[in-house]
Amino acid sequence: MSRKSFPFRATGGDLRDLDQPGYYAGYSTMAQKKHWEPATRTVVSERVETNAPIRFFTEQEAALLGAIIDRLLPQDDRSGPRTIPILPTIDERLHSNSLNGFRYEDMPPDPEAYRLGIKAIDEMAQSRFSQSFLELTVHRQELILKSLHDGKPEPDHAAWHRMPVHRFWALLMQDCVTAYYAHPWAWDEIGFGGPAYPRGYMRLENGLPEPWENDERRYEWNAPVDSLSELDQRGTPPEYGSLHGHGGSH
Amino acid sequence: MPHRLGPMQTLPAPMRRFAENETVDYCIVGVGSAGGVLVQRLARAGFRVVALEAGPFWDTEKDWVSDEKGSHELYWNDLRITGGTHPLALGENNSGKGVGGGSVHWAAFAPRFHPSDFRIYTEDGVGTDWPISYSDLKPYYELLEREIPVAGPAWFPWGDPHGHPYGPHPLGGVGDVLVRGCTRLGIRTVAGGPVAILSASHGDRPHCIYRGFCLQGCKVGAKASTLITHVPDAITHGAEIRAHAMAARVSLRHDGQADGVLYIGRDGREHFQRSRAVIVSGYAIETPRLLLNSACAGHPHGLANSSGTLGKYLMAQAGNVIAGRFDELIRLYKAPPAHALSEEFYETDPRRDFARGFAIQTVGPLPIAFAKQMINAMGAWGWGLRRVMMDYNHWATIGVLGEILPWEDNRVELAEEKDQYGLPVAKVTFNLHENDKKLIEFGKKTVMEVMRAAGAKQVVQESRFAHLVGAARMGNDPATSVCDKFGRTHDIPNLFICDGSILPTQGSANPGLTIQALAARTADYLIKQGDTIFFSRHRDLTEPGVRYDLSPPYTWFKGNPRIA
Repeated sequence: MSRKSFPFRATGGDLRDLDQPGYYAGYSTMAQKKHWEPATRTVVSERVETNAPIRFFTEQEAALLGAIIDRLLPQDDRSGPRTIPILPTIDERLHSNSLNGFRYEDMPPDPEAYRLGIKAIDEMAQSRFSQSFLELTVHRQELILKSLHDGKPEPDHAAWHRMPVHRFWALLMQDCVTAYYAHPWAWDEIGFGGPAYPRGYMRLENGLPEPWENDERRYEWNAPVDSLSELDQRGTPPEYGSLHGHGGSH
Repeated sequence: MPHRLGPMQTLPAPMRRFAENETVDYCIVGVGSAGGVLVQRLARAGFRVVALEAGPFWDTEKDWVSDEKGSHELYWNDLRITGGTHPLALGENNSGKGVGGGSVHWAAFAPRFHPSDFRIYTEDGVGTDWPISYSDLKPYYELLEREIPVAGPAWFPWGDPHGHPYGPHPLGGVGDVLVRGCTRLGIRTVAGGPVAILSASHGDRPHCIYRGFCLQGCKVGAKASTLITHVPDAITHGAEIRAHAMAARVSLRHDGQADGVLYIGRDGREHFQRSRAVIVSGYAIETPRLLLNSACAGHPHGLANSSGTLGKYLMAQAGNVIAGRFDELIRLYKAPPAHALSEEFYETDPRRDFARGFAIQTVGPLPIAFAKQMINAMGAWGWGLRRVMMDYNHWATIGVLGEILPWEDNRVELAEEKDQYGLPVAKVTFNLHENDKKLIEFGKKTVMEVMRAAGAKQVVQESRFAHLVGAARMGNDPATSVCDKFGRTHDIPNLFICDGSILPTQGSANPGLTIQALAARTADYLIKQGDTIFFSRHRDLTEPGVRYDLSPPYTWFKGNPRIA
């Protein structure tokens, strides 16, 4: 069972069992699906409705990676039924050997990188805390993960001499956000308009909502007290020189 | 159901099919920005043409979706190995697969290169000069701007000032930020283009609906891709587009002339398309890879590689994205990502400590792309990532598009790994040099200032690269280039290269329009030379003169305005 820790409102009260986190309460992209053309409606609806089986990872790997993902992209604030599946999406990509068009010369193929990385993280937990990663408190799990994020694995592990830790981190994070932010519930959370063909948008300037979009209603909140993953406002992260963006933006 | 190309256009049917053993005049490898224009021109001129495309023949209504993750198949996802001190991200970042190629997922910024781009060695002592000048290409820029067509301001002040056939698009939130920030710093801007997206309907293509999914393939048919601008006309005029045909090798006769292309078809088997001439239009990685994979007796280092420059001088542009967080809402997903820019820093400025320059352009990452940028730009993960993404609508993003010079050590070679067809994959090596690093640093700082001047409360940046060109460069000297100024390889008279790979330098303009203009010019040359291409070793290097009668429908009566 994965461990939980809850963010909380600045005015008090845990953020938990939410059907819709974020500042756009009541906004639903799926409520607009009758306005989408069939191909898009099919693809997005399937994403919401289907639950892919785990086929690539072993049971042990799946449990470990599930616990890792729970910290990399935590959803403790979401209600159970409204949790967005991330592990099955990664498993599906590796099972179908769906590539992203390239591999860094200093990286093993993605499936191997995953197996290597998961095993290393668990062994780091064993050697630092004498427990499996699964058994650790959230705080201790995040101590291990933050050391990978910072590019300084603590404790060091042979895996990070076979593949650069920052590349593994990027691979993992990119796969996580590709699963999470592809989901319409995440679009509702961040106020993204979602598919808009054939209808299109008409209010382009000044951040104004379309008639079916909502205005933002912000509230202040804090990350769980035992978490280390809050944004570091002090400065930009280390630039690895070779760690470059993968998105096609222009 | 007819094969749909946008909501109004259908694929002309039936398409001509050449029989397995038929010899055609031209076999073109790759139907992207260049291949699409070439096949259309050559078919119109009456040549028998087969164009091989490794990917599918898109039906835009069935195959494309308004969805980031669901658009994965638009990209060249097959394995490539990337390395060097600054390895290039490939795949969705810059490589297309399927009819239309990269023009299916380009943002469609369509600026021309500046006259200075064609002579940077002479002017600045860096890179190399082109074997042609701006004036050789200008009539083709004008023609393609009418054909695809380009929307933008009536007065574009940089390079060779010009106007655009279609009016500018309305400004979105990100464009507003770019114009506001630049204006406060005294930097000139244009808005609403130049972009190959329709601001008014054009024949059987509707105008833009501002849904922001340009990079996921334009279901509306408003954004130009050769799939909808040139390929239908090619088919009407008797060309065959053979999809799911992965070229494996260009084959040579014993007299050293090319005689066709060996490819792996949809059935997974090897086929041979015999042709009187071959044009490779596979873009900056697949073109050199195919020619390297075609090595044979007499050409042990690959075809057209007697100079040893094949695969070398690969270029990508600096594409740093600067993100700024505003107190007010921006909603950056609305409007085309490409819709406002400045080329104020394009040329060399002696007051700076580097040669050449950069452009400033709007970008519009959708949620997944934006989340990936925040992972790099802010080191975001966990709750921090959730938090910054909850503010997605408060961020604006502006890109640097910086000129990286052609360097010999930036290259495409063959790796030991093989792809699903058993063909050695490309290994891409990319290193930044001193001038590039200084240019990127300056460009990055400038755009961060623009973002702050626009009122951003927090400004972060992600390093990345955009576009790919070079690796089979054209030039006058066969000892230092792969092909001549018309794309004809120096070594094999009936083997041509026509795509972004022939560019000797790249400026800081998006390469799409230039690639298409070069393709139209090469087509005019081939048509003018006629049958001599197929049997003569004589190389006529006179400009062919522009054929204005070979454009696709709806080009007539469009003009290139020029005011002021």
